[in-house]
Amino acid sequence: MPDNWTFVAAAYGLAALVFGGYWLRLGRIDRELAAVRTER
Amino acid sequence: MTTLLGWLAGLGLVAGLVMGFGVAPREVTQGNVQRIMYLHVPAVWVAYLTFTVGFAASIAYLAGRRPGADRLAHAACEVGTVFLGVNIATGAIWGKPTWGTWWTWDARLTSVAVVFVMFLAYLLLRGAIEDRERGARYGAVLSIVAALNIPLVHFSVYWWRTLHQPPSLLKPGSSTMPRVILTALLVNFAAQALLGAYFVARRARLLAAEEEAIA
Repeated sequence: MPDNWTFVAAAYGLAALVFGGYWLRLGRIDRELAAVRTER
Repeated sequence: MTTLLGWLAGLGLVAGLVMGFGVAPREVTQGNVQRIMYLHVPAVWVAYLTFTVGFAASIAYLAGRRPGADRLAHAACEVGTVFLGVNIATGAIWGKPTWGTWWTWDARLTSVAVVFVMFLAYLLLRGAIEDRERGARYGAVLSIVAALNIPLVHFSVYWWRTLHQPPSLLKPGSSTMPRVILTALLVNFAAQALLGAYFVARRARLLAAEEEAIA
């Protein structure tokens, strides 16, 4: 069976995007809440 | 503690990549596309774990109405949905070269899709209801109902004829998997479990901060 490296790269790339995107989202919420606390 | 979990998860993910690409050999039948399994399988185990935490926290919330239990349930269900999404997407990517199709409506894939949609509905519900107590109560009931489907997903490969293969590890009896592949799988599971724990801890803390900011 051929190795299908493109599929392997797509799977790992997609997972990196999803996990990285979620991590960035948590960071954005954290910064927004810090800004609210500073305003108060 | 959360920061330490984050660093451990980062190190674990690097170790997982080394195991999956550097140590584990090319699989004889599937070729290198089998390496997707080091991502796909641990992702569903972590999803099962986080949904179980969400299930227990939801029961605790309904029993005691403690906001901390609701925050843990909310965080765990959100993180579990992320991991289940990765599991479904990487399974589709693996399925195309291996089965010849991205998707098929067999019992395993259909049941896992149903659970995914139920947890998406949970997240929509939590976002849609402004009253915190009411959202927590409805969310707890929905997450319990959704989590009760997990055994159905796991046993679907035994109960119906499916294209999806039976479990390689979470089954009675010893595994026939070569030790090096099993080790790579377990290292990747540990790494993803640490990442899941980091996400849940951080999200729960942010939910507490959000409640403080609204109050």
